[in-house]
Amino acid sequence: MELMYWWILPVGILAGAAVAWWFLRRDKDCRHRAVAHTDRLTALPEYRDALRRHRRLLAVMAGSAAVLLLAALAAAARPVSATVTTPAEHSRDIMLCLDTSASMASADAAIVGVFQDLAREFDGERIGLMMFDSSAAQVFPLTDDYQLVAEQLARARNAFEGGPGDAAFFAGTGVAPGSSLIGDGLASCSQGFPGPDDGSRSRSLVLATDNFISGNPIFTLAEAAALARDKGIRIHALNPADFDYGDKPGQEGATLRAAAESTGGAYYPVDSPAAVGSIVREVQRTEAAARQGAPQRVVTDESAWPLGLALLAGLVLVGLAWRVDR
Amino acid sequence: MTALLHRVKSKMFIFAHRKARGLLDGEYGSVFKGRSLDFDDLRAYVPGDEVRDIDWKASARHGSPLIRRYVAVRQQQVLLVADTGRNMAAESLGGEPKKDIAVMALGVLGSLALNHGDPVGLVHGDATGTQALPVKAGDANLERILRKVDDVGRHSAPSAPGEQLGFVERTFRRRMLLFVVADEGAVAETTERQLRRLRAQHEILWLTIRDADLTAPAPAADPAGRGTALRDVVGRAAVVHPVAASPKVLAAYQLARTERDASRSAMLRRAGITEGYAGSSHEVVPAIFSLLESHRRGG
Repeated sequence: MELMYWWILPVGILAGAAVAWWFLRRDKDCRHRAVAHTDRLTALPEYRDALRRHRRLLAVMAGSAAVLLLAALAAAARPVSATVTTPAEHSRDIMLCLDTSASMASADAAIVGVFQDLAREFDGERIGLMMFDSSAAQVFPLTDDYQLVAEQLARARNAFEGGPGDAAFFAGTGVAPGSSLIGDGLASCSQGFPGPDDGSRSRSLVLATDNFISGNPIFTLAEAAALARDKGIRIHALNPADFDYGDKPGQEGATLRAAAESTGGAYYPVDSPAAVGSIVREVQRTEAAARQGAPQRVVTDESAWPLGLALLAGLVLVGLAWRVDR
Repeated sequence: MTALLHRVKSKMFIFAHRKARGLLDGEYGSVFKGRSLDFDDLRAYVPGDEVRDIDWKASARHGSPLIRRYVAVRQQQVLLVADTGRNMAAESLGGEPKKDIAVMALGVLGSLALNHGDPVGLVHGDATGTQALPVKAGDANLERILRKVDDVGRHSAPSAPGEQLGFVERTFRRRMLLFVVADEGAVAETTERQLRRLRAQHEILWLTIRDADLTAPAPAADPAGRGTALRDVVGRAAVVHPVAASPKVLAAYQLARTERDASRSAMLRRAGITEGYAGSSHEVVPAIFSLLESHRRGG
């Protein structure tokens, strides 16, 4: 709570005091009718009683006039409460890019499960799901149709968990020869983002893979990462099978880490599917923090109290003035 | 330079058009018993003259009533007694300063006295002291007297009418006509014994000037620029009008005033002093007339 025009208070109080002083002074040396023997009236007990009541009334009136003045001044000084709020940014695009090789099934199920939860709170974010093995297939494109998202995520989860009756789910992921062509998959997923980055929406890609390649991809992982970087996409890589040993370069985990970090993203080795949840949430948090809008100072007028008080004092004043006049 | 006296006389003249011109003269003449048996002349009867002064034979001859006039044995000395304290600067019942009414009353009686050849003097004063102007004939003297009474304002010392009466009692041994002009509070400042003693020594006419009604509604703002607030000339205390106008206070004040009036009248009556009232300068001439009238009847 602060006063926007705080200087009104001292100025107004001074002005009020000056007016009061002027009135009192004027009253003191104002012209009056000279009369004699006023004690004949003023010594009467009835007069004294009435005078006491009258004075009390006047004192209350003066008090409420002062309250009225102060409350009006306080209202004129615009009491405001300023809060700094950071508007939540919902202009995010998230692409889930899941390696469907057999070793990844439980991690994929965990990721999809987490996004099933997250998607319920989405409001403006767009989410898409692609999967790849030797070739990439789109389950659903970037969309904010959350009903569709929920349906598709449920279906995906069911499929990843090896549920019955949805063998067609993985159709299209094994068209090309080979398996786990990570670079091709990542490049395809990157194409899932429409056009070049115009800066209006953040782009993040959740890549789940163990980076074990068997076959000849068209794109190497580094090339695909460069492609993604060009489109303004940050890659967050989750590796449920990080078997790097020592710090020798060129190992699967290290390559994936390098690719992810080259786009400004991060690399997370995942020890168990249960840890996926917390990692994905952390990714979402860092993404959200990176896209936070500028803090805004929201100023709200809090004039209800002083105005209410002024109204009350005014009513009391009017009522008493009426009584005194009577 | 007889401005005040002139003003008084012109007011008397206006009054005289309404009542007979000589009426006052007649009333004044019959107040005093200081008449000799030396016949002077006859003049036409004027209402108010003593019936016993009518010369019936001469009237019969003449066809209209004639009054016998005698050469006065001695001049009747008239002593005007006035309060020139601050109280007299205060408002009267009619709204004008009480001193204006006092000037009018003293002027009327003074000029009546001068018309009858009686010299006029003044005893006046306030709480700081009492002064006397010598008893002399002539308009200039009366004008001086009136100026003294007129020269009262808020700067004057507080009133003490009892002092002036005491001064008269101590100073003047000769029998005189006292004309006391005072406000309602004056009697309360004297004792009945003092009044009796004064009455034994002098003829006394007492004119009470009505004080302002403190509970009366304030008059509308008047062009003279007076405010509407009431303020005591002595204590400077203000009267709070809304309080004074409340019914209970009003009733108590009226009751107190009635009681005060009654006790003052009773005290003066017991002392054998004739009292008249004037609330404004218009009431002065009728008041003096009836005062003289009732004094003639009573005394």
